[in-house]
Amino acid sequence: MGVAEGCGDFWTGEGFGIDDLIDAAIKGGRIYADKQLVVTRTLEPYGLCFSGEIDITNSDAVPRSLSLAFVRDGNMHLDVSGLIFCDISGIRSFVDAAEAMDGGRLLLHGLPVLLQKVMKVTGWSDMEGLVICHCGAVGR
Amino acid sequence: MSISAANPLEKFRHEALLYSGWAEFIAGTVPFIRDGVQAGEPVLVVESIDKIEMLRVALGHHADDVLFADMAEVGSNPARIIPAWHDFVSRHRSSGRRMRGIGEPIWKGRTADELIECQRHESLLNVAFGHGEPWWLLCPYDTEKLDSSVIDEARRSHEYVVEGSEVRKSEEFRGLQQSGAPFDVPLPDRATSVGEMKFGPGDLASLRSLVSRHAHAIGLDAGRAEELMTAVNEVATNSVRHGGGGGELRIWQEHAAIVVEVRDGGRFSNPLADRQRPAAIPGAPRGLWLANQLCDLVQIRNFADGTVIRLHMRRQPQRRLSIVPDDPADSSLT
Repeated sequence: MGVAEGCGDFWTGEGFGIDDLIDAAIKGGRIYADKQLVVTRTLEPYGLCFSGEIDITNSDAVPRSLSLAFVRDGNMHLDVSGLIFCDISGIRSFVDAAEAMDGGRLLLHGLPVLLQKVMKVTGWSDMEGLVICHCGAVGR
Repeated sequence: MSISAANPLEKFRHEALLYSGWAEFIAGTVPFIRDGVQAGEPVLVVESIDKIEMLRVALGHHADDVLFADMAEVGSNPARIIPAWHDFVSRHRSSGRRMRGIGEPIWKGRTADELIECQRHESLLNVAFGHGEPWWLLCPYDTEKLDSSVIDEARRSHEYVVEGSEVRKSEEFRGLQQSGAPFDVPLPDRATSVGEMKFGPGDLASLRSLVSRHAHAIGLDAGRAEELMTAVNEVATNSVRHGGGGGELRIWQEHAAIVVEVRDGGRFSNPLADRQRPAAIPGAPRGLWLANQLCDLVQIRNFADGTVIRLHMRRQPQRRLSIVPDDPADSSLT
């Protein structure tokens, strides 16, 4: 995966062209993009929005994006309603991040039904620190 | 030796009950259950609904102390049965009492693919529990309805066989070590592929698209198509990570089901890899477990030159039991 040298808050994955880079820059808010996945900052609630597909080719973008996320009141909010696909390596990245939270919680907003089922049968839905949130809030 | 006179267990006891007709079924199961209840032992019976109803009547008030579950749901995919027994054993381990179970995973009407996976399941029970708590599992086999080759295999997969009032050690039992030997029974010939591709690390999105397209074309609804696609992606991811960097995928239709086959150059060393509930630690493997939870049947074969995995998804779902209940307190297996 290509990573922009010296760029602390934006990088791009393989398959993401220069036009996409420009588009991301002028639209603002995007902190990661590749041909499958776009990660954007959100203000309401503070956090990140993941849209697209996560698999072994780009799941390492999850922890890198999370390292740039806003944390408010110790909690991190992720809008994942736009995730079309997320494999176990992607979910594991969210779980790892939740485990690394120092007393706070990682809240997943808008988690698709299939991913809720995947997390349930794989034993990740009952983790302390990871909340599958049904409050209806998605990132803006 | 009568069943009730068996000596205290020192290890897992796996018995096949060969019966013919309702009377022999009742005679072989009711005393076994009643003895357990009277001894204060937790008892779980996983049977068909009609047999459960019959057992309730025959047991009378003793039925109140027995846990029942429908095998058509628990065992629709046979690889989900061992986790269900694991749940039962682990939840009652602290009682310090011996536990008893009855499970009949094989009935007339199982497809050929289901039957062979059920037979594999019966052997793997020895591996799953052979080194653990002492508990007693009785597996009824209907000799009237099942083929004699099925009964022969039951003698190989169970250490003890009950026929009438006789209980004896099975001379044909393959033993604990062979029960977990690599499973290399040839898979049936596949039908003509409707889709196929070779894949590597960068091809998983295309692979998912191919599976999804054919799943919809064959008639799976959106939810089941997504579940199949997710399961196939995990198996293919394993091929990329552990199977030589990639593999080959083929898709075909069998009757009212779609079958997706993934071949790669890897080998499995753990025969229970696909049916052990993932450990709580984040890095524990989950892909094959997930495939079994999402698909109607998963067939895994270890050959000298690699691994073949077939994932089956029927167009219409059968009744299924969520092995992980919404609320553990609601579990029928507690």
